[in-house]
Amino acid sequence: MELPLTHLKDSESGIIISINPSPRHRHHGHHNRGRFRKRLEDMGLTPGTKLTVVNSAPFHGPIELHVRGSRLAIGRGMAERIQVRVNR
Amino acid sequence: MNQERITIALAGNANVGKSVIFNHLTGMHQHIGNWPGKTIEKAEGTLQFKNYTIDVVDLPGIYSLSTFSIEELISRKYIAVENPDLVINVVDASVLERNLFFTLQLIELAPPMVIALNQMDMAAKKGIEIDHKKLEEILGVPVVPTVAPKHIGIYELLQATVDIIEKGNGTPSRVEYGEEIEEKIQKLSKLVAKLQLPYPARWIAIKLLEGDEQLERRVRQLDPEILSTVEKLSQDIQRIHGHSCSTVITSARYETAGCIARDVQKIVSPMTPPFRDRLHAFTTHRVLGYLTMAAIVLSIFFGIFTFGDFLSGFLGDFLYGFKPSFEIVFGGVIGELIWGGIVEGLIAGITIALPYLLPFYLVLYLLEDSGYLSRIAFLMDNVMHKIGLHGKAFIPMMLGFGCNVPACLGCRIMETEREKLLATFVVTLVPCAATTVIILGLVGAFVGFEWALLLYVIDLVIIFFLGRIAFKVLPGEPTGLIMEMHDYRFPHGRTVVKQTWFRVKEFIKMAFPLIIAGSFVIKLADILDLLKPITDTLSPITVVWLGLPAITGITLIFGVLRKELTLIMLATLLGTSNFSSVLDPVQMIVFTLVAMLYIPCISTISTLVKEQGWKRALFITVFEIVFAIIVGGIANRILLIANIW
Ligand SMILES: Nc1nc2c(ncn2[C@@H]2O[C@H](COP(=O)(O)OP(=O)(O)OP(=O)(O)O)[C@@H](O)[C@H]2O)c(=O)[nH]1
Ligand SMILES: [Mg+2]
Repeated sequence: MELPLTHLKDSESGIIISINPSPRHRHHGHHNRGRFRKRLEDMGLTPGTKLTVVNSAPFHGPIELHVRGSRLAIGRGMAERIQVRVNR
Repeated sequence: MNQERITIALAGNANVGKSVIFNHLTGMHQHIGNWPGKTIEKAEGTLQFKNYTIDVVDLPGIYSLSTFSIEELISRKYIAVENPDLVINVVDASVLERNLFFTLQLIELAPPMVIALNQMDMAAKKGIEIDHKKLEEILGVPVVPTVAPKHIGIYELLQATVDIIEKGNGTPSRVEYGEEIEEKIQKLSKLVAKLQLPYPARWIAIKLLEGDEQLERRVRQLDPEILSTVEKLSQDIQRIHGHSCSTVITSARYETAGCIARDVQKIVSPMTPPFRDRLHAFTTHRVLGYLTMAAIVLSIFFGIFTFGDFLSGFLGDFLYGFKPSFEIVFGGVIGELIWGGIVEGLIAGITIALPYLLPFYLVLYLLEDSGYLSRIAFLMDNVMHKIGLHGKAFIPMMLGFGCNVPACLGCRIMETEREKLLATFVVTLVPCAATTVIILGLVGAFVGFEWALLLYVIDLVIIFFLGRIAFKVLPGEPTGLIMEMHDYRFPHGRTVVKQTWFRVKEFIKMAFPLIIAGSFVIKLADILDLLKPITDTLSPITVVWLGLPAITGITLIFGVLRKELTLIMLATLLGTSNFSSVLDPVQMIVFTLVAMLYIPCISTISTLVKEQGWKRALFITVFEIVFAIIVGGIANRILLIANIW
C-alpha cells in the first residue's frame, strides 16, 4: 500500500517510493522543487530507503524518523510529500 | 631544521566533533555543543608538529558538497577553491553510513585526505564495533580512530596527516555508479577535461549530472555546448531509471556508503533501550515533552535566582562593609570620587552581575552539550511555524538567552534570507543574560520571583505577537524542518567549564573597564552638576510617561553599551544596591520592562549591521526603542490602576 509518510503510525516502517514536488512551491519553478528534494535526498531519504516513524509532535508538529542508523526530524509539510510503501 | 608551512582543513557532517579537534589542535575557542550547525564561518588557527607549521581551518558541518545552504557553500568553496594541502574528514563512528556518504563525495573531489573516525566511545556505547583497518583498506584513505574530547588518537591523526603530506594518498577507491551512468560520466569527463578547470574532471562530470548550479554557470561561460550534452545524458538516465538523474546518483552513493558501513561494522544492540534513548523518548513525548520543557526552564530560572540572590546579598554586605574604613583613609572630594566612581562600580559589577551570569552560562552550556536544544527545536516546530519559521530557529533563540550576539550569528542556520531576517528580529527581543541580571536582580530580588517570571512570560508573548506581525509583513512559505537529532550525551565537564569560563572572562574584560569608566564619568558629572540637563531633557519620557525617577534616564543611556549597566549605574548613582529604598515595585517593573525591550545593546547592533545591513539594523533598533517606551508607559498605568502595592 502506498501512502504519504504522515499517514504512518508510530513505530511503523516503510520504503520510500518517491518525493513529490511541493505543491505550494510550484510557482517558484523547477528550481525550488529540485532543491527541496535534493535536501531530503542528501539527508539519506532516497527512493528505496527503509524508514521507521518513531514519534510525531502534536498540533501538526514534525515527525521523527529512524533512517540509515540515524534520527531525523522532518517538518510535517515535507513529510506529506514523501510517498512510502507499507505492508498492512 | 627548516620549517615547512602547510594548511589542513577539518570537514565532515554537522556535529561530529570537528571543532573539538580544532580547539585541541590550536588552543582556540570555537563554539562546541551537541546540536548541528554551530560553526557557521571558517576559523583558522596554527600549531607546530615535528618540523611543520600547520595552519588548521575549521569548517561548518555539511551533509553534502552541493551548494544549497550557506554552510555547504563555505565549506565547498574552501575545499575546492582554496585547495588546502590536506583535508581531515571527521566522521561520526556512531552514524557511519550517513557520514560515509559525505566521505565518498569528498573522495570524488580528490584532495589529499585522512579520516578521523571520531566518537568511537559513543559507537561502542551503542554496541557498534568498527573494523577501522578494513575501512581504511576499502576506502584507500588512512583511518585514525579518535575520541576527541579525551584527546585520544589526535597525535596519530597528526602523524597520519604528515605521512600523507609527504607520501600522497595513492588512489582512493570511488563510487561506481553502474554501467550506463559510468559510461556517461566518462563521456562528460572527456569533454570537461578540455576546459582546464581546477577540479578533477570526474567530479565536474558527476556534479553536472546532478544539476549543480555553480558548476553549470562556470561551464556555460566556457562552453555552453557541454550543458546541452549534460541535459541529454541526464534525460537518458532519467528514462532508464525512472528517477531524476540527481536522485539516481545520490541513491547510488548512499547505496555504496551503506554497503561499506555494513561491511566494516558489527552491531550488537543492547537488549533494553539504554537510558539516553528512554530520555529521548520522554523529552520528545507529545505531552510529557512539553511538561518537561516547562519544568526545566522554570527550575533553571528559579535555581539561578535563588543562588544569585543569596550570593549577591552576601557579596554586597561583605564588600560594602569596607566603606567606613575606606572613608577614614581617603576623605573629602577625592575620596568620594574614588569610592563612588571606581570602587562602587566594581562592587556593583561583582555583586549584581556575576552571581547571576556565572551559573546562567554554566547551565546554558550544560544544556547545549547534553543535546537538549535539538529536542526543544523538535517540540517547538509547530509554534515557530506560526511566526513563519521552523523549529531550528528556536535554537538561536535559546542561545539568545545567553547573549544576543552569537544568537544573531546563529540565525545563519536558517535556509532563506527572509527566514534569517525574521529569526534575527525575534532573537533581538530575547532577554539575554544581562537582561536576566536586571530581571532577577531587581524585580526578582525586590518585588518577587513570580513577578520576574511574569516578565519573561510577557516577553515571550510579545516575541510571539511581534513575530507574527513580522511574518505578515514578510509573507512567504516557511521552509520545512530537516534536522538530525543526535544522541543525548553526558555533558563533557571540561568543555562546559572551559566555555563558561571563557564567556565570564570576556565579560570581565569587556564590562569592568566600561563599568569603571562609566561610573567615573557619571560621578564626575554628578559632582560638577552636569547630569541635570540630560535628565531634564529626558524627563517627559522617564518621569511623566514612565513614572520613573529622572536619574534613570542616564542609566538607560548607559544600557546601550551593555544592558546590565542600567542597573549597575543605578547602583553607582544611588550609592546603594538596595534598590527598594529608591524605587517602588511599580517603578522597578516598568524600568525592567523598558530595559528588557528597549534596544539591542551596541554589540548586538553592530552584529545586526554586519548580518542584515545598516538599514534593517537601524529600523530594528528604532522600532524597539519606541516599542519599549510605549509598553513601559502602558504597564505603568495598568499597574498604578491595579494598585497592588
Ligand atoms: N562522546 C564523545 N563526544 C564527542 C566526541 N567528539 C565530539 N563530541 C561531542 O560532540 C558534540 C559536537 O562537537 P563539535 O566539535 O561542536 O562538532 P562540530 O563537528 O564542530 O559541529 P558543527 O560545528 O555544528 O558542525 C559536542 O557535544 C562534543 O562534546 C567524541 O569523540 N566522543
Ligand atoms: Mg564546529
